Formats: sequence, structure tokens, C-alpha cells
Amino acid sequence: MTASLDSLIQLRQNSLSGGSFDGQTDWIDALRRDALGCFKEQGVPTRRLEAWKGTNFGPLSAMQFTRVGPGPTPIDQRNEDIDGNGPLLVFVDGHFDAAASRLIELPEGLRARSLAEVLENEPELVEGRLSALTDFKIQPFVALQTAFLSDGAVITVAPGRQFELPIRLRFLSTSETATPEANSASFPRLLVIAGEGSSLKLIQEHVSIDSAPGFTAYVAEFHLAENSTVESLEVQAEDATRIHFTSVHAHLERSATFDSHVISVGNGLARSELSIILAEPDAETKLCGLFMGRGKAHLDHFTTVDHAAERCTSDEEYRGVLDDQSKGVFRGRVHVRPGAQKTDAKQSNDNLLLSDHATIDTKPQLEIYADDIRASHGSTIGQLDADALFFLAARGIDPDDAKRLLTGAFVRGVVERIESKELRRIASNYVDATLRELKGSPIRQSDFLTEAIKS
Amino acid sequence: MPPKISPETIISIRDLHAKVGDSEILRGISLEIQAGEIHAIMGPNGSGKSTLSNILVGKPGYEITSGEIFFHGKNLAEMDPEIRAREGVFLAFQYPVEIPGVANNYFLRTAVNAMRVHRGQEELDGFDFLTTLREKMKLVDMPEDMMSRAINEGFSGGEKKRNEILQMLLLEPVFCILDETDSGLDIDALRTVASGINQMRSPDRAMLIITHYQRLLDHVVPDHVHVLSNGRIIRSGDKNLALELESKGYGWLEDGVEASA
Repeated sequence: MTASLDSLIQLRQNSLSGGSFDGQTDWIDALRRDALGCFKEQGVPTRRLEAWKGTNFGPLSAMQFTRVGPGPTPIDQRNEDIDGNGPLLVFVDGHFDAAASRLIELPEGLRARSLAEVLENEPELVEGRLSALTDFKIQPFVALQTAFLSDGAVITVAPGRQFELPIRLRFLSTSETATPEANSASFPRLLVIAGEGSSLKLIQEHVSIDSAPGFTAYVAEFHLAENSTVESLEVQAEDATRIHFTSVHAHLERSATFDSHVISVGNGLARSELSIILAEPDAETKLCGLFMGRGKAHLDHFTTVDHAAERCTSDEEYRGVLDDQSKGVFRGRVHVRPGAQKTDAKQSNDNLLLSDHATIDTKPQLEIYADDIRASHGSTIGQLDADALFFLAARGIDPDDAKRLLTGAFVRGVVERIESKELRRIASNYVDATLRELKGSPIRQSDFLTEAIKS
Repeated sequence: MPPKISPETIISIRDLHAKVGDSEILRGISLEIQAGEIHAIMGPNGSGKSTLSNILVGKPGYEITSGEIFFHGKNLAEMDPEIRAREGVFLAFQYPVEIPGVANNYFLRTAVNAMRVHRGQEELDGFDFLTTLREKMKLVDMPEDMMSRAINEGFSGGEKKRNEILQMLLLEPVFCILDETDSGLDIDALRTVASGINQMRSPDRAMLIITHYQRLLDHVVPDHVHVLSNGRIIRSGDKNLALELESKGYGWLEDGVEASA
């Protein structure tokens, strides 16, 4: 095990007296303490662990932390880049910021509150739900996040209520100094409870304000009751100096639908985990992801779909675009349990390398223990088509624009799979901004190295 | 020695030798095309016709080993492909590439505006561009729905060729190279393509038509016809040379070369 973030743990101990990470109720105290113990036992994961083979979190162990929770960021920075007019909750370094939020009255049956407020006033609402989908005994960063658990968002949708207007959550990372020794840590949390037959659209953005050296660990849990539908967009656009960890867990009851869209355009080291349990028959899930690496970004996507019941459908499509010296890692695991007959599972990961120094490490995996199912998986790694690039140049188009045009065509498919117009708009904004920054390097060949295995 | 080129000369090729990989394809081509002229190059497969057109537009993979190419008196070989295009060199491709995911109209507008910026003109907005586009589309008989589709994706052979001519009409090049634009066309499509080419005929423009057959030249009458064989121009003449080739084939010319060699 590597060093165990002593300076960070010390900050937690210091703030215990202030009540930041304790108080409220006994069960939440016990949860945090249990989680802290589990993290200390496991430490920062190393590449010796199978699940962490592609990614080295060593740089995190080297960080010294001086702050947990919000720093003194002026309001005009906390609410910049906010467009649209729907409900918006802003979190600064993991803590709800009412002043920067757009708190409009929500229709009956839909509630979006800060976790701190819920823990204070209505803890029974989240008891038994919070941490129900995670297993921090084997998930060290989920354990760490839970040890610091104090704020975030709780969203509940009453049974039978369907809402088109998305709720937008902006998680901001800040730093008051630019010195790399003064790192901040933030631990936002999300809990979504979608009642029977309800529907919800949700946006989660993780953004750094300027340079924000430090660490963000985010854990989200989605409980989807029978026949409920959730469409979720999660954007990771943190700064190069910030290490980002996300762990999203969804549990689907009978005939529920969970559509996940993940857009990773951050410039630093990031790990995004997505774990979906199709617990009851006829549940459906889409896992759409796009990672676009620039500079020295390292973007790791680790997804798991657990087909635990009959007639469930999972459709996973991740695409990666890697420029400069960036690295992408994709691990997709689809697990079909015994008895999960009539499962329909698709999984693909297509990647575009724009630079000779960019790398992708991709491994789609199927584990099947039922005999009457349909499943496919495959991954491709390619470069831009040299003939297409030449054609565009021969029409007078600047080579950089040509690269953006072709790269845009490659990534557009992922964005177009987002059904909600507002979610698609926000995703497009991030993708377009990233496309504009892509430089690319000379392209040599047009062949796609394709590996597709069907079973 | 600085080249002496009259302002009327659009393109001047001087003793051009070029190779692809290790094989020499062009073995000394000299050709001058004046403003207002249409030249046709005919010749058997493998004679170097497509190599010549690819070299003129700067396709990677071809190496000029000796000789020069001047376009409006400027050294063409020193220009990147996109600069050649903006300066007014255009190739209608023999095999137009399909580009999934890039809409034809978006591509056309990007290309037109790249030209306009280069010429110091203002970029066209969506509305103005659409007006121009519709007008040119009529000339090549293209249905509107082809514009929102991806570039050449799922287009028939004839549609791809008409799309090339549409690009030429929109970009208004000074020097147009048509590489076997007539191949794979039925009679109606040939007539449409030919009328598109004739639209472009002007005293300021030059054209180089590469073809195997006389039939396009029935519609677009050339001023000069050259026969390319084994990387050299072995015979030049007027439009009647094309007719002669149509009836006699290339054999008699090539035999003549062998005999005189």
C-alpha cells in the first residue's frame, strides 16, 4: 500500500470538534467511522489491483492537503458560466451554496435539497439508502468519500410524477492559492430516489474554477423503483491540477430505465466508475460515454453492468478521442448471472488516436452464466482517415479544421444519443469547446485496427 | 533561372518526373495551359494520368524527382494542398471519398468560406450560402435532401460525380482538373455533368480533362488533346485526335513510339 493521505485524514480529525463530519445522527456517525476504517485498511489503490491496472493514483498520495470544504471564492466566480433557466444547485468544494444556486420552486412531487439539510432535518429519508449501493470494504475511494460525507444533493421524485425539466447540479472545485502544496479536497455526494413510475432528468457537472489543485471524490447513488426512468448526464471538466474520482451506482427494479451519459473532458487524472445493477426483470439501461483527452490527461472509465434478472437490456457505447500525450483507459464488464435468461447486452468502445504519443488501453469483458441470451462486445482503435483529410484539404479547408470536422463526426454519435434536449445542449457545449482546443498531429494511415468478438 | 511565363498561362509543367514509392510514373511531362483553354489527356490504364492529377493537387505519397510546375507563375510544389485549393486549383476526384458524420451542406459552406477568407471576401452566413447552393444545385440536377446527408455517403456513382461538379461550381476555381469524371455515368448523368463543366468555361479559366473516352469530349469540346503513355506525352493534337483514338485505339501510337525509340 502507498501512503494513506495522512494530511487529509488529519484534516478530518481536526474538524471533528467543529462538527463538520460528525453529529446529526448515530447511524451516520457510525457509517463515516466504519468507512474511515475501511479506507485506512485499504489505502490508495495501486496498479497491483486488477481493477486499477490501467491507472496510477500515486500522484494523489504525494499531495499535501490544507483544506476540506469551501474556500473563499467570490460569488461572481461561483455562478459564472450558468445559462439556461431551470433549477440549479451549486456546490462549492462539496458544500451546497444557496447564494450561487438558482432555487426556483419545483413542482409538487419533485424535491432537490442539500444532503446537509436532509441529514439535519429529515435523516430518516436517507437512512438505509445512503451507502446501500456501495461496498466500501472493496472500494477505497468510496470509503474515503463516505468518511468525509457531509453534504451534496438529495433528489426525490414521488411515485407517478414525471418531470421533463432537468435538475442541474454544478460541483465546483476551488483553490485560493496557486501553490501545489496547498491542495483542497472535496467530497460531494448525490442520492437519487425515483419513486414507482416516476421520471427524472439530471445534470451533474464537475468543474474547476481556474486552477484548483487537489482531489475530488464524488459518489452518487440512484435508486430506481419499478417503472421509473432516469436520464443522467455527468460531465467531468476539471483542471489539470485536480485529481478526480467519480463512483456512480444505480439499482434498477422491474421495468425501470436508467440512461447514463458521461462526458469526460477534464485535463487531469480522472477515474470514473459506473456500476449498474439490473435487479429485477425487464429493466433497461444505456451507458453512453465520451472521453476526450488533451495534454497529459489520464481518463479512466470503469463500468460494470450486473444482469441479475431476466429480460433486461444493457446497451453500452463509449468513445474515446485522445490527443497529445493523453491516455484513455476503458474497462467494461458485463456480468450475466445464472437465471438471467433473455438478457440482451451490447458493449462497444471505439477510440480515435490523434497523436503518436496518445494511448488507449481498452478491455471489454463479458462474463456469462446464463445460456439463453444475446450479447456482443468489441473495441476499435483507429486514426483519422488520411483520404478524408486530404479530400477536405483539397477543398481549401484548413488541416486543423479538417481534423476537428472529422473528430466531431466521430464524437457526434455519442452526443446524439442523449434524448433530453437540455442535457444534449449542455453536453454539446463541453464537447464543442474541447473540439476547438484539439490540435492533433500528422496522420499516417487510415486503417482501423478492429477487433470485434461476438458471442 | 526565373521562369518566363506569360500572364495568360495558368499552368506550366516543365519536364516533370515523379515517382510513387520506388517506381517512376512520370518520365518527363511538359504541358502549358493558357487561360480559356480546355486540354484533354487520354491514355491507357497505368500511363500516369491520375498520378499527374494527384501531383497537381499535392496528394501525399507522390515525389517529384525533377522538373517544375508553375501555377500563375508560382511554384505549385511549394504550396500545401489547402493553399493550392484556395489559390484556385481544383480536382474533381475519380473516386470521391465518403465521409460519414459530416453533412454535405456544412462541409460545402466551410469550404466556400475558406476560399472567401483567402480571397479577402466576407464569409457567407447560412442564408446567403443556401441561396447560392440552391442555384448551383439546379445546374447539376441534385435533389435538396442530398445536402443534409453525409458527404457522399450512400451516394450512387453518378451522384458522387455530380457532387464533385457542384463543389467546382461553388468554389469557382481557376484551374479545374477532372479525373475520369465521365466514368460510370449513364447518358443522362453524363449530359448533366458536361453541362456543369461547360458552365465553368470562361476566358479566365483553364481545364484539364482526363478521360478514357471520346464521349465526354462530344459535350465538352477540348482545344487540345494529349496522349499520355508510359509517363510521357507521346502525341498532341486538336479535338480530332480524340476521334482518331476512339476508332483506332492507343496501339498505333504506342507502336509508333516503340518503333522510333
